[in-house]
Amino acid sequence: MSRDAQQLVSEGLLPGHRGGGKEPLVVAGLSPSRLALRRLRHNVVALTFGGMFLLIAALCFMAPLYARYVAHTGPNDNHVMETILVGGHRVDVVSPIGIPIGPTWHSRFFFGADFNGRDLAVRLLYGGRNSLIIGFSATAITIVCALVIALLAGYYRGWVDILLTRFLDLLWAYPAVLLGVAIGTSLVLGGLSIGPLHVSGNSLGVPAVIIGFVNIPYVAKPIRGEVLLLREREFVDAARVLGLGPLRIIFSEILPNLSSTIIVFVPLMIANSILLEAGLSYLGAGVQPPNASWGTMISSGVEYITSSPYLVLVPGITLIVAVLGINVFGDGLRDALDPRAAISKAH
Amino acid sequence: MERSLLGGRNAPAACEPRMCESGWVCLRASTQCTDFSLGSISGDDEGRAVTKNRKKWTSLAAVLCTSAMAITAISVGSAGASAGRAGNAAHVSGPVNGGTATVDMPGYPNSLDPQEGYTLNAGEADWIVYTPLLTYAHKSGLAGTQIIPGLATALPVVTDNGTTYTLTLRKGLEYSNGTAVVASDFKFAVERALKLNWGASSFLLVIQGAGAYQSGHASTLTGITTDDATGRITIKLTSSYGAFDNVLCFPALSPVPQTTPMTVQTTHLPPGVGAYTIENIVPDVSFDLVQNPLFAKFHIPGIPLGHLNEIKVEVESNSVSAAEAVLDNQVDAFDVTGNIPPSLLGTIESRASSRFAKVIVASTDYFFLNESMAPFNNEQARIAVSYAVDRNALARLGGGFTVPDCYFVPVGIPGHPTTPCPYPSPNLAKAKALVKAANLVGTKVSVYGWSQSPGEQQVEYYASVLTSIGFKVDLKIINPSIYWSTIGNVKTAAQTGIAGQFLDFPNPGDFFLLLDARNIHPVNSDNFGNVNDPHLQATIVRLEQVPASQLASVANQWAALSVYAAQKVLAYTWGSSQLPEFLSNRINFKTAVFQPLFMDDWSSWELNS
Repeated sequence: MSRDAQQLVSEGLLPGHRGGGKEPLVVAGLSPSRLALRRLRHNVVALTFGGMFLLIAALCFMAPLYARYVAHTGPNDNHVMETILVGGHRVDVVSPIGIPIGPTWHSRFFFGADFNGRDLAVRLLYGGRNSLIIGFSATAITIVCALVIALLAGYYRGWVDILLTRFLDLLWAYPAVLLGVAIGTSLVLGGLSIGPLHVSGNSLGVPAVIIGFVNIPYVAKPIRGEVLLLREREFVDAARVLGLGPLRIIFSEILPNLSSTIIVFVPLMIANSILLEAGLSYLGAGVQPPNASWGTMISSGVEYITSSPYLVLVPGITLIVAVLGINVFGDGLRDALDPRAAISKAH
Repeated sequence: MERSLLGGRNAPAACEPRMCESGWVCLRASTQCTDFSLGSISGDDEGRAVTKNRKKWTSLAAVLCTSAMAITAISVGSAGASAGRAGNAAHVSGPVNGGTATVDMPGYPNSLDPQEGYTLNAGEADWIVYTPLLTYAHKSGLAGTQIIPGLATALPVVTDNGTTYTLTLRKGLEYSNGTAVVASDFKFAVERALKLNWGASSFLLVIQGAGAYQSGHASTLTGITTDDATGRITIKLTSSYGAFDNVLCFPALSPVPQTTPMTVQTTHLPPGVGAYTIENIVPDVSFDLVQNPLFAKFHIPGIPLGHLNEIKVEVESNSVSAAEAVLDNQVDAFDVTGNIPPSLLGTIESRASSRFAKVIVASTDYFFLNESMAPFNNEQARIAVSYAVDRNALARLGGGFTVPDCYFVPVGIPGHPTTPCPYPSPNLAKAKALVKAANLVGTKVSVYGWSQSPGEQQVEYYASVLTSIGFKVDLKIINPSIYWSTIGNVKTAAQTGIAGQFLDFPNPGDFFLLLDARNIHPVNSDNFGNVNDPHLQATIVRLEQVPASQLASVANQWAALSVYAAQKVLAYTWGSSQLPEFLSNRINFKTAVFQPLFMDDWSSWELNS
């Protein structure tokens, strides 16, 4: 048995006898995906952080339940003139000079209220939902568009590659945040109209499309590089000899070999998309009021940071934990899928 | 500390004992001149500011006590005992000339071009750069509403039943670049204001031929004739307009050289005749006001030359940063167009009480309701809004700088009604019932607001209330610098949104112009709600002809019109604003003038010695 196989067996990553005796060693083969899963299972750090992210995501998607059964208020319900009982005392949700109540650590206004008297905990969960929806949607848009561009550019090469690569360069050259702000600001009023499809300016689809669009080069370029390598492989030549057309070769031969790369990109792009969405919303070009997102909550809370720091800290810490969780999990996933991978993503 | 500017009945704003009018007492502890037959202005549960009468004997006792306390405070304060007052403890025997001051402004003016600038922050700069034929006294309080000659030798001679105004330009005037000023430059300036669709150009349409000139049907403005040799300027109006003297005080009507392009200038502004010039313009970022050395030789009475050499204005959209910078004396002024963050208000009032004041200004905060389209072309829908919205909530969101009110003509202006508001609020049940009865449940409503506190919070509250009574709200928050042009553009089709009007001149007509059908334009419209009410229109046209000197005689008619507008909810009025006067300890707060129309008078600022 090779030294690598011995090591894998001793580490428990490969089934087999660990003995040092003269018996022949029988090693059962594992598929690459099962191998990856085993590596991932042993990466406690990645699983922990992944679990943190899943927990936050689960809580966010249960926001309507929390709002209805725990907080008894919606994310956009203003309680400016209301009072609540805190420690046996009647307290204004928003004081006469506009200072909102702090954390009560009870069902109502658990994390306190914002300047409009809205329950911060409810908005945190709904905002997380919006951020995650945008993150996932944007990632889907990025991956799909990047794949199409990369596959066409990498396989066909020639003028197709030149045109598409220059388009990616152009997109990459423009700072993502500035591009996002420029597009987002211009779409706020009129929304997005493409033929019969119309998306209003305050739809979550607008920031999702913008973020998905600006992130395309970050995924397309590495994948294009992989496609360039794969198209020279023997199985691709064999497919050509068999008479398969270019599109059939792309989707049946090349695309499946990109799966591990794509899987690695997904969590990284989700993290990046959530961060970019928070940034755009902070600058007023992402999620539009009264809809909540972690970015808009941080932006709104900055003005009250001296009197009500929780308005910034609560969404800020949640954002950090969520992004950190999925980033670390993504790193672990990359290590599991290909320990020798050197995929890097420029920010 | 608060100082009443035009509130109550003619309450002077400043507070040195010698500056209080006869019968008024300076309460030094509160730095407010008070007529002890009147009370303070406060909000009530109807959301309307009321004045409460105090008994004379109680007030007299209070005056005596506080005066005694004040005398003690003065002797202690002069030793610099309070850290908040330390910066302003210096006693200045005379003006200190020279130096530079810095101002943090939350947003850039809509334009610094005099024939385009219309926002409050544009007026602050243009007023001391472009002196018109007439101008206002550079004084705080009511005294600041007095009209005095600017570039004209005297107030106009009004003849022909109030339709002809004759003025004479002072001799020897020069622009800041040395070019001579001639009478025909005034006519050119008016033509330019019309051509550029200046935000208040509706005021100019009373001039004969103005409408034809603005629409392009005439090549010159026939209603103004000038004689450059004598400096004589004759203005003919289509009808008598009592507030036309006030119109002549706008910086937009200040003469500019006739070589000035008929397009809006952003960085190469035309020269003016004023204490300062505007230089080093970086659009949307900063501009400087530099003292004009030529202005002193004209010796125009009542117009100060300015003490500071330079005033540097920078845009700082973060109100927390701006307020903290002034608090720490890193920046000299927090511009009045900004909003002191509620979180810092307590700190400012305790640490910088000697250089901070909330000034009540005659202003109207309101939500326009577009009557040219559903749902607000339906009176029941508008009444529903009036029932649903809680003015006190909006005032609370204003962070202590809003006084609830329901009438379009604000407190302090003749014509402000004293009757209760027609629709007690909040009454959500009634509002929902009205919307349902009018079959408007689910109607889409676009609500517009600007991305600046507290307006953004107020419009979010307003949007949530509209949602709760059954409308399907589409909230659009946009940048303040493009807000007015956006909602004033008919193509935007804004159904409702936040708006406000600060005093242009002390006349109810100045506020009703926002409901005047003549101010409905395709672009730069002032009548955002497209209000076109026959009774309102006829009354405005009739009352605006009354000269300003006879305003008191028709005050009750203006008041009746205000009540009518509130009953029909031609606009949803919810309050008046107080503005912050907040300076660093480098600037002499006591001598700084807070002009009622142009707010911070930068030409009055001087550094503490």
